[in-house]
Amino acid sequence: MEELDTPQIITHVEHNINHSIFDCKWIPCSAKFVVIGLLPRGSGMLEVYEITSGEIRKIKEIERPNAFKCGTFGASSDVERRLATGDFKGTLEIWDLEKSCQMYITKEHTDIINSIDAMGGNTTNCGAPEIVTGSRDGTVKVWDPRQRGKPVANMQPVKGETKRDCWAVSFGNSFNDAERIVVAGYDNGDLKMFDLRTMSLRWECNLKNGVCSVEFDRKDIPMNKLVATTLEGKFHVFDVRTQNPSKGFAQVLDNTTKSGTIWVARHVPQNRDIFVTCAGNGHVSLWKYEYPERRYHTDAQGVSSGVAGKLKRLQRMVISSQPINAWEWNRDHLGLAVATAYDQYVRILVTTKLNLQ
Amino acid sequence: MEKAFEIQKQARDNAKALQSYMTDLQNWEAEMKRKEAALNGEFEQDLPPVRSKIKKEKPVVPKKKPEKKIRGSDYSAWDKYDVDKACEDIDMADVGPASLDSKKSQQAKLEKLKEEAQYEKERGNVFVKQEKWDEAIACYNRAIELVKDDAIYFANRGLCYLYKDSLHQAEADCTEALRLDPTYVKALQRRATARERLGSLRSASHDLTEVLKLEPHNTAARKQLDAIKARMGTKGAKSKSSPSTTPTIENNPLLKLKPQPKIVELPPEPAVNQPIDENWRNGVGENIMVIKPVKKPPHLRSKRPLKSVPIQEVLLGEKTPEKPPTRLKIIEIEDELSQGDSNNNDSNKKIGSPLEGEEIKGEGDKVLSSPESVKLITDTIVTEKELKSFVPPVNSVQFMAEWKYLKGQWDAKCEYWRIIEPSKIPSIFANALESHVVSDVIRLLHDYTDKFPGSVARYLDAISKVQRFSALAMFLSHTDKGMLTKLLDHCKVAENCSDDVIADLKNKYEL
Repeated sequence: MEELDTPQIITHVEHNINHSIFDCKWIPCSAKFVVIGLLPRGSGMLEVYEITSGEIRKIKEIERPNAFKCGTFGASSDVERRLATGDFKGTLEIWDLEKSCQMYITKEHTDIINSIDAMGGNTTNCGAPEIVTGSRDGTVKVWDPRQRGKPVANMQPVKGETKRDCWAVSFGNSFNDAERIVVAGYDNGDLKMFDLRTMSLRWECNLKNGVCSVEFDRKDIPMNKLVATTLEGKFHVFDVRTQNPSKGFAQVLDNTTKSGTIWVARHVPQNRDIFVTCAGNGHVSLWKYEYPERRYHTDAQGVSSGVAGKLKRLQRMVISSQPINAWEWNRDHLGLAVATAYDQYVRILVTTKLNLQ
Repeated sequence: MEKAFEIQKQARDNAKALQSYMTDLQNWEAEMKRKEAALNGEFEQDLPPVRSKIKKEKPVVPKKKPEKKIRGSDYSAWDKYDVDKACEDIDMADVGPASLDSKKSQQAKLEKLKEEAQYEKERGNVFVKQEKWDEAIACYNRAIELVKDDAIYFANRGLCYLYKDSLHQAEADCTEALRLDPTYVKALQRRATARERLGSLRSASHDLTEVLKLEPHNTAARKQLDAIKARMGTKGAKSKSSPSTTPTIENNPLLKLKPQPKIVELPPEPAVNQPIDENWRNGVGENIMVIKPVKKPPHLRSKRPLKSVPIQEVLLGEKTPEKPPTRLKIIEIEDELSQGDSNNNDSNKKIGSPLEGEEIKGEGDKVLSSPESVKLITDTIVTEKELKSFVPPVNSVQFMAEWKYLKGQWDAKCEYWRIIEPSKIPSIFANALESHVVSDVIRLLHDYTDKFPGSVARYLDAISKVQRFSALAMFLSHTDKGMLTKLLDHCKVAENCSDDVIADLKNKYEL
């Protein structure tokens, strides 16, 4: 029987929060996580929780006039553990959670920051600590916490072109100090890949539906795979190792599940070929990408193009009655994850037998 | 049946797996808490530069977890607080980890180190001035740690050791300084001192010779060398000749030119010459204060504005300026009003032209030195010498000043009068001859007639030609007139003056 060894997704702890929550992040090197949300009266809320023997305990909360939308610890070292947040007004803030104060505040975006990603804070030889933000104002900005006020890179549509709402951003390909790539997904289904080293648009395509989430399987290696989830229950997995000048990247599309919007896809940090997708109907699915025998083939002209692999669903589980809008695997413990959903629950989830895959 | 069994088994396995996972999770929780507690500020990273500034090569600011502030009321914590270390940390913060691989930042780092070392040196110098040798040595140690190839730091530390009587260390430091800079005179001198005190006179004198090669006019080194030579002379006569002669030959090129039959004769000569030269330089035996030139680098010079020094003109060898005719009139009027003894000086002051004022000042200067000269004159032996130093006066003020000092010294007065050329008397005194001076002179001529052989008539004639003499003549006393008659007789007899001349003089002196 096949299912004998399949991973189980189990809700370990459920905790009701009486306001909307948008994002959750593990605090590095701890059993704590931050939940980012919006109070009914419109102010933003940062809450720090700790898990202690099967229970969630709130240890801190910070309220701010503007609602937070997203956050990340990626640009901060494990010692400092500073949270970068984007809010509904377009403000980027970096928080020292110990002191409950901002270390950095800048408002360069004119509208809500939908998505934030960061890296370089804790890894050596893979570039500067940087934060990327994608906003409804159509711009994608890259920040360095060491440079105050101004972004280090800004990607915006040419004047005259319509500004699209940027829904998702992500870093990748940062395998040395110079290379780094930003992918951004827009509401019209555009997926753009910016090369920060050459400061150019490397590749773009349209996925027909608004892109809700993008993520590389790993940020700090030469880019390998890219997952982009969209509305209408579809997600694309690109093999971004081999770029064909005309055809771009090979991809595999999954639209088998009619589960509504796929809000988020997250790779398991300990295994880059397994990722989870969280759908609008409260389903979470665990997927495994299976590589083809040859990842690329070279045609008669000597131009190589990638070959897409296959997707295998390992597990599928309903954990919420409402869309799950955020999911994060714990970096230190395999199979442990935190997720927030629109049902105002934050959940600690455990996934067993991931090591067997 | 089979299937149900398997499902049951699967459920049991899953439960087991979950259970083990949960215990794992609990362990993990505990571990994470322990790990988190162990997290401290020891985190430094070699980060690449900010993207937008890559071209500018800006060094990376190292991230550091800010240390916990110690509250003002927490006295025990403050007691444990190492201020020096904190200061050092702050000092080193911008030196240390701001490293980047690029050569530019390496250079910047070096510069930073140099700056730091320079700062330590300055601190050390301050301690030296306060004579805190140990602190100064600590400062120089740090400077040397930061920059190992600067001779100054070694030489300065050597000085401190010298003062601390750590002579061997002093010598070692100076040697190191000289290795870095062989022409460093101060280091040479310090090493010479160290070696001298260590007793190795020969090497000390060798160092000093080097100094004199580099700076031939270095008097301190010369003195020291002489002292060492003297010591070497007393210690052992054998070692006297060879090491000590060489430097003197070099230093006195004049002697070198002279053909010397024997080298042995040389040492005493410079030894004699040297102190004379030295005495002259220091103004020994002269009534002067020697102001030596002070060489200071521009940054150490006084920042105060230059002070203007009023220059007092001492009128030597200069003729009295021509008096305007108006003055004559005034004095004549005054003359008629009051003809006291010392009215002359008073009138001068009243007229008070700027030139006159300066003259008065000049007189004042002479008054200042008067006690000394008076002493000299009272001493008969010295008087002889002093008389030779008389300078013929060029104006009445000079004459009067000198005349006053010689009050009561008739011999000296006589000598002084003798050096005055009779023909110049009218121009010297102009209109400022005083009646008591005339009386004095008549007495002089009468008492010391033999000292004025054949010139008594000329003097009398000259005095009579002084302006407004007719007025002075009226004040001549009977004794004066008696002496004058005798003088005129003497003139007639001894100087063969014609009757006309005698008659003219008699007329003028109202005899």
